[in-house]
Amino acid sequence: MNSNYFKHLSRSIWAICLKDIKLYYAKGPIVVTGVIFPLFLWFAFYIGRGLGIKEGLASLLTLTLFFTSSSVTPIIAPWETRQRTLEMVLSRPITITIMLIGDILASIIFGLIFTLPPIFYGIFLGAIPNNVLLTVITILLTALSFSSLGIIFSALPTDTPADVVLLSSTIKLPLIFISGVLIPLNQLPTLSLTLAMLSPLTYPTDLLRIFYIGEGFFSLYIDLIATIIFAIIFTIAALKLHKKTIYIRLQRR
Amino acid sequence: MNAIEAINLYKRFGNVIAVNDVSFNVKEGEIFGFLGPNGAGKTTTIRILTGLLKPDHGEARIMDYNIHENPIEAKMLIGVVPEEANPYPDLSTWDNLMLVASLYGISKYEAKEKASQLLKLLDLYEVRKRKARNLSKGMKQKLLVSMALINDPKVLFLDEPTVGLDVLSARKIRNLILELKKNKTTVFLTTHNVEEAGFLCDRIAIIRNGKIIALGSPEELKIKAGLYTYVSIVFDKKINEHDVKSFLNSFEYKIQDSKLLIICNEPANLIVKAVEYARINGLKIIDVQVSPPNLEDVFIKITGGE
Repeated sequence: MNSNYFKHLSRSIWAICLKDIKLYYAKGPIVVTGVIFPLFLWFAFYIGRGLGIKEGLASLLTLTLFFTSSSVTPIIAPWETRQRTLEMVLSRPITITIMLIGDILASIIFGLIFTLPPIFYGIFLGAIPNNVLLTVITILLTALSFSSLGIIFSALPTDTPADVVLLSSTIKLPLIFISGVLIPLNQLPTLSLTLAMLSPLTYPTDLLRIFYIGEGFFSLYIDLIATIIFAIIFTIAALKLHKKTIYIRLQRR
Repeated sequence: MNAIEAINLYKRFGNVIAVNDVSFNVKEGEIFGFLGPNGAGKTTTIRILTGLLKPDHGEARIMDYNIHENPIEAKMLIGVVPEEANPYPDLSTWDNLMLVASLYGISKYEAKEKASQLLKLLDLYEVRKRKARNLSKGMKQKLLVSMALINDPKVLFLDEPTVGLDVLSARKIRNLILELKKNKTTVFLTTHNVEEAGFLCDRIAIIRNGKIIALGSPEELKIKAGLYTYVSIVFDKKINEHDVKSFLNSFEYKIQDSKLLIICNEPANLIVKAVEYARINGLKIIDVQVSPPNLEDVFIKITGGE
């Protein structure tokens, strides 16, 4: 594998990423959903509880990343199967892995764009994380993790986006309530806390709390290692699952 | 070097064997037709050859690259118009071409040049800014052909490229295929249009129930199928059956008053004999019609009338 090969791979990934941004992300309804849904959910829980801006910011950032990074990735593969564009793209010199990495990259960029306004608004109000580098790393890892989670949902070999949206919502929505995003982990009952430990949302939320308010439920190392592990597992699972199901998907056409 | 090699390809979907031990080679610069009735295994074979499906057994090679072991290298050399595939409906004609060009790693400058040239060639330049969803079926198909040609492929796979096209668009694509042959591009063509295959292809494979049942040039297939040429000769007077018999004893024939219908392999010899017969019997030949077997007859005979 020479440098030309990697140059080709990176160009192809970027081409897929730009295509996704143009076709799926730069759309009014998607943008509005990316802003409004996490913001209103967050307001519903935080307004009137007398919580500080820093405490609220950690949750808002995780919620925004969760709703933006995992919003479109589940529907791309089923949608493109239905539109009969998937076969057209895959007959070009790319592999399913390259295509998915392009999809993940677009989703990460989308998530990051929507995370920036609350971060800057926080800075404007004096809410600055105590470790900027680790905060950036956490946000990147979390965006990767949630983007890949979306891709995992889309491995379902269907050409009906609604099937995937239903599966994705059924799994994603309960996670918000058991991961310390809206209700702090130390206020959760034992059963919910046990479930929280299995949630990919728990650790980045806790990490951002550590960076913004200086205290978390778990230690920084546990949170960081868990966040890295979730990102790796989700990414590998997304790529492997699609490799298995892509042929079933194409056969059904 | 062979441009395409299919070596013992086998693919099964559940209980259905879609492709059963299919082997063939396509030489560089050849136009190779792949014919078969619906569900015979044409699209599955083309999907295996273009790397979209993995065979259960066997190997598919493009210019010596195994397409499943070296997909990038092999796909760099091919252009594909998949059956019933679509360009991105929400991208413009131009953007669809640019996207595909970037997937081949073609520089922006080169891609723009090539895209303009192809769009002009296929009469799509005027609609380059139009979203693909607003193109007619024929325009979409021509866009897919342009997308398949953006990388100047060494091997072009066309899965039913003229299906649903108007006469002029279909002719444009057929002429383009012939132009590509002049540039030594190998073309692998699946089509339902048997006459189109006969006109374009150097060799044709006929597949049925996942197996190749005939392979050869259109002429070879006609001979293999054991089909004959029909010759009809009209004289100025009624023909005497007794006189004709001595001339045409080795042929199968039928007399209808002044018309003689003959089944033969070599019409030239027969016509010489007919002229001789007319001269001796004082007859004039008014009309001669020769109907060689067409590829459709061959196809129907080989595939058992499906």
